[in-house]
Amino acid sequence: MPLHLAPQIDPTLRSALDETVLLTQLADAMGSPLGVVLPQQLAENVTAFRSVFSDHRLSGQIYYAHKANRSSALVRELAATDAGIDVASLAELQHAVGAGFVPQRIMATGPKNEEFLWLCARTGVTVSADSIGELAALATLVRDWSLPRVRVMARLSGFTSTGVQFNSRRSRFGVSAAAVGEVLDVIEKHVEALDLVGVAFHLDTIGLPEKAVALEGCLGALDECRRRGLRPWSVDIGGGFGVNYLADGAQWEQYTSALTEAVLGRRAPLTWNGHGYGLRAEGGHVRGSLNLYPAHRPVSGPAYLDRLLGTAAPEQRRPLGTLLLDNMYDLLVEPGRALLDQCGLVLASVLEVRDEANGDTIVRLDCNARDVSLEEHGVLMDPVVVHRTTPAAPGPAAVYLFGNLCLEADLITRRRVFLPSRPRPGDLLAFVNTAGYLMDFSATHALRQPIGRKVALYRDDGGWRWCLDEQYWPVHHRAEAP
Amino acid sequence: MRFESMTEAIGNTPLVRIDPAVHGLHNIDLYAKMELLNPFGSLKDRAAWNMVRPLLTQAVESGDTVVELSSGNTAKALAVIAGMHGLTFKSVTNRMKVAEIKDLLLLLGAEIDELPGQAECLDPTDTDDPLTRMYHRLAGSSGGYLHTDQYFNELNVDAHLNGTGPEILKDLDGRVPDYFIACVGTAGSSTGVAAVLRQHNPDVRVVGLVAHKSDFIPGIRTIDEVHEVGLFDPDVYDTVETITADDAIDGLLTLVRRCGTLAGPTGGGAYQGAVRHLRGVDAQLTERRTAVFIVCDRVESYMSYLRERRPELFGRPPRRNSVRTVTDADVRQAATVDVAEAERWIAERRGLVVDLRSPFAYQALHIDGSINIVDELFAELLHGGLPFGRRQPVLLVCPVGEKSARYAALLTRMGHPDVRSLDGGIIAWRDAGAELVRD
Repeated sequence: MPLHLAPQIDPTLRSALDETVLLTQLADAMGSPLGVVLPQQLAENVTAFRSVFSDHRLSGQIYYAHKANRSSALVRELAATDAGIDVASLAELQHAVGAGFVPQRIMATGPKNEEFLWLCARTGVTVSADSIGELAALATLVRDWSLPRVRVMARLSGFTSTGVQFNSRRSRFGVSAAAVGEVLDVIEKHVEALDLVGVAFHLDTIGLPEKAVALEGCLGALDECRRRGLRPWSVDIGGGFGVNYLADGAQWEQYTSALTEAVLGRRAPLTWNGHGYGLRAEGGHVRGSLNLYPAHRPVSGPAYLDRLLGTAAPEQRRPLGTLLLDNMYDLLVEPGRALLDQCGLVLASVLEVRDEANGDTIVRLDCNARDVSLEEHGVLMDPVVVHRTTPAAPGPAAVYLFGNLCLEADLITRRRVFLPSRPRPGDLLAFVNTAGYLMDFSATHALRQPIGRKVALYRDDGGWRWCLDEQYWPVHHRAEAP
Repeated sequence: MRFESMTEAIGNTPLVRIDPAVHGLHNIDLYAKMELLNPFGSLKDRAAWNMVRPLLTQAVESGDTVVELSSGNTAKALAVIAGMHGLTFKSVTNRMKVAEIKDLLLLLGAEIDELPGQAECLDPTDTDDPLTRMYHRLAGSSGGYLHTDQYFNELNVDAHLNGTGPEILKDLDGRVPDYFIACVGTAGSSTGVAAVLRQHNPDVRVVGLVAHKSDFIPGIRTIDEVHEVGLFDPDVYDTVETITADDAIDGLLTLVRRCGTLAGPTGGGAYQGAVRHLRGVDAQLTERRTAVFIVCDRVESYMSYLRERRPELFGRPPRRNSVRTVTDADVRQAATVDVAEAERWIAERRGLVVDLRSPFAYQALHIDGSINIVDELFAELLHGGLPFGRRQPVLLVCPVGEKSARYAALLTRMGHPDVRSLDGGIIAWRDAGAELVRD
C-alpha cells in the first residue's frame, strides 16, 4: 500500500501549481533547479500574525527572520507591509536597507563581527546582543566613532524554574538569566552609548512549558531593569512557531508507524539502506528518537503564538499574553519558517527514470539535496509531479530520488517516495512549501553545479505574472490596457 | 489485619464480578482485578516495591536517590517508598501531562526533572530517546542513584508473575480465565500475568490494549511507543487492539457510575476494550466463559484530564454577577474618562482607583494612590456582591481599558452609581506621559 505524505497546499499555492505550462516554460528557460517564490503570500502571513497580536490586545512587531530565504522579492514585498526584519549578517543588513527597511524596523541578531556591529550602529538598527562582550564592543564603537546612542536588546538564556525543573537544551547564544545584573551593569556604565529597549530569548524547542518559563524569566529581568530605573518596554520571544507541512495527519501517523516496523525488520525497508531517521533496533526493541521535523503540526504558526500567549506563567499563574499586557510590554517575534508558509516551491527536472533489477525505481533529478534541503531539515513531504504530457504509467510509483552530485549520499530524501503517478524524463517535480529554510539555505556550488535561479510569481490583472527574483519590486502594477 | 508497614498492604486485591446488566454480555462472566485498592493507589505499587526492595539496604546505607523515568503511578509509589525509608526520589520525565500527579509528587517530596521538548530546528546529531538521555545523566553523575529501570527490569514482571497472576487463579478457584485483557504501559503486568495463566492453560486468549496514536491516555503507550519498552514482547499477546481517549473515558464513567469502582482512565480503557473485544465473541458462544481485566488506578488524580476532554461533565450552575454576562451594549453604556480627566479626578482625590492588572505588573509601575485587585480576584469578590459602598466613587484601570469597561458595566448593573473606566487603560496613560510610580 502506498505510504503518501501529501503536502498541505493552500489555494494560492495550488493556483500557481496549476499553471503547468508557465512552470515548464520557466524551468526550460531558467534551468533546474528553479526556486519560485510567492511574495504576496508573505504579506498575508504577516496579517495572520498581526491578528493574533490584536486578539490579545498586544502591540509590538513581527520581524521576519531573513535567514530562512535569500530572496530579494520576499524582503522587498515585506518592506511594503508594516512588519520588521531580523538580519543575522552584514549582507542581510545591507539587503534589508536596500529593500526599503528603515532602521527602526530592523533587528540585528546572531553572532556579529566588528563590521556588522559598526554598520548596525551607524545605521541605527536595534542590536540584539548575545553577550556582555558584544555590548561592551558596541559601546566602544559608538564612542570611538561618535555615533548616536544604539538601541539594544539583551538576549538571555538558561532560565530556571521552581518546583518542576524544566530542562532546556543548552544554547550557544545569550547571557545566563541569572547574570542579568552584569548585563545591566554594562548598560548603566555605557548609558551614553547603549539604550536598553528590551530583553530577548529564543529556545530551539516546540515545547510550550519551556517557553513559558523563559518568558516569565524575561518579565523578571525587566522588573530588575525597572528597579534600577531603566525603562525597556519589549520582550522578544524569537521564532520557532513552525509550519504544518502535511495535509493529512493520518498519513503522518501511518508513515511513522510503518517506519518503526521497518526499523524492527517487521516489514520491508522504507528507506535507502534501511536508514532509520534516528531510530535503531536493539535486541528487538526500538532505541533512539525519531529525528524528524514534526511535519504534521495542526497548531503551528500564528496558532502556536496564540497558544503560547494563552499559556499560564508557571509562577504567576496568569496567561503570558495577559501578563505582557498588564506590564505594558511590547511583544516582538521573529518567525522565519512560519512567515514563509506557502510562499514558494522548488522545481526540478527529471533526468532519468529507471527500474533496477531488485525492483527499485530510481528517479534522477537535475538538482541535489542542498537545493531542496528537505533531508537536512528532516521534513518528510511528497513532491508534486508536473507532467508535460501524460503519466508514464497509471497509478502511484514508489521511487528513490537521486540528486545530481557525484556522491553516494546525494539523495533528495533517503525515503522511498510514493509519487501519485510515474514521471517521464523531462517532467518536473515540484517541491512545494519549501520557501522557509528548504530552498536555498544550504545551496552550494559543489562540483561547480549551478545554484538554482529564482523567480517571483505574483498575481496581477487577474492572472499570474513572473519576473526574476532580483527584478521584483512591490510596484509591479502594469498600466491597464486601453 | 495487622501490619508492621504499609508496604505489607500491597497486593492481595479483590477480584470483583462486573454486573452483567452493565456490560451486557450473555455468556461471559467479566471480572475486574481491583488494583486501585493497593495502598498507594495503583497496580504499580507491586512493581515499585519489588524493584526497590532488594536494593534498599544498600541505598539507605549510602543515602542514594531513587530515580525513575516515570510520569505517573510508578513515580508515585517510588516516592512514597523512598520517603518511608528516608531516601529522596527523583522523577525524570519527558512532559508530565497530568497536573494533579505532578502536584502529588511534589507533595510527597519528589523532585521532577522535565526533559527538553523536541527541537524546532533539526539537529541530526541529537538522536537520543529520553531513556538513553537518562542513562547518560546517571552515568555522568558520580553515583548515588538507585535506578529502578521499570521498562527493562525483570523484577517488574516478576511482581505480577508471583503476585497478580497467582491471585487471579486462586480467586477463580484455580481455573484459568478464557480471556485476559490488559492495557500495555511498561508491559510488566500483562507479561507477568499472561505467563502465569499460560502455564496453567495455554489456550487463554491475551488481549493487549494500546492507545490510539494521536491520543494520550495516561499510563498507556501507543502502538509505536510499546516498541521502545524493553519488557514488551509482541508474542505475549494474541492480539493488540487500539483504544482512544474517548473509549477510556466512556469506560471510566461506566465503572465509576455503575460499578462502584473509582477507576482512572487506564481501568476505563481496559473495561471498554474488554467489552468491545468480548462482544464480538459473545454472540457465537454456547457455553459460559470467564474474562478478567485490570483496573490499574484511581480516578481522583485525573480531574484535569477529564475536565479538559469532557467539560460538560463538570457543568455547574452559572454564578451571579459574572463578568461573562456583560453584553457589548452594557459596555457601551459604561462611563469612561480619558487620561487628562482621570489625572484631574485623581489629583482631586475624588475616589478609589482600582488597578485590575497582575500584582507583579502593579508593583513594577502603577498610578500613584491606586490599589491593586487583580481581575480574577475582583471577579471572585463581585460574585458575593459589591466590595465597596455605593457612595464610594471608583475609577477602574486595566491595560487597554477593555476589561475595566466590562467591570464598570457590571458594577453599574449591580447598582453602583459612580463608577468609571480609564479609556485606553494604563498603556494610554503611559503613552500620554502621565506619571507612573514604583514603591
